[in-house]
Amino acid sequence: MDKPKLIISSVYAAIIAIIFVVVITVGAELSAPLKDWLKDFFGHHWTSKSIFSVLLYVIATIVLYLSHHKYSDDRLKKTLGFLFISTVLGTVILTLFFMGHYFQLF
Amino acid sequence: MDIVAILQSKPVLIGLHLGFGIIGIDAFLWLLGKLKGDGNSQRSMVITAAIGTVAFIASWLAGGYYYVAYYGTLVKPVIKSGVAPWVHNIIMETKEHIFLFVIPLAMTVFFITLLPKEEMDRLKLRRLALWLSGAVAVIGLLIGVMGFIISATVRWGAIN
Repeated sequence: MDKPKLIISSVYAAIIAIIFVVVITVGAELSAPLKDWLKDFFGHHWTSKSIFSVLLYVIATIVLYLSHHKYSDDRLKKTLGFLFISTVLGTVILTLFFMGHYFQLF
Repeated sequence: MDIVAILQSKPVLIGLHLGFGIIGIDAFLWLLGKLKGDGNSQRSMVITAAIGTVAFIASWLAGGYYYVAYYGTLVKPVIKSGVAPWVHNIIMETKEHIFLFVIPLAMTVFFITLLPKEEMDRLKLRRLALWLSGAVAVIGLLIGVMGFIISATVRWGAIN
């Protein structure tokens, strides 16, 4: 098993999953048809987001791991740093979004 | 009452959600200490990360079932009609969505622990693994605090 490649594949997949959660969450709050579409899949919008985000993470990790993409040691370090930043940014964006949405700023 | 009915009851689901969440937080804090120190075996780091990841998955399943089955019909109306309706709109909405970051993050940290110590040091990943392990623990703690605020708001709502 190529462990560094597994790690970098997981990092990219985690970043994709975080971006997906942020975008689909904000989108569904601002668009009732999108929220209804999510509800129609698994009975609850949160269940659909959960299942889609996990599937996205798992499939992206497997596809990236099996693909022929090259990575360098330096790229591995940089992407791990970017995953940390994405996590912090995702948390801040969702918190500020729900605050702004509650106070009807958007 | 059979075992499935007991597991699906509201207090047990909340207990499982919280209990597994605490195990997940503790495991990743423990892993953080192991990554900072140099005398720990790779095997102990793999086991710690695996326990933390599995615990967060269990917490997510128990909390998710409670949220979908009971929260919207029983808890949300009490909060919305109480003294702090913003707790649902801001705290609960943020909590339920940032939880979705935890599993991919925890899995990634678990994969890093699969590297032998020498390779982790050669790739200079120890410090980043430490930061990511800390991020998992901090998000877990943040979710715990939010859960406490939500529970306390329901009690106030019921009193008022």
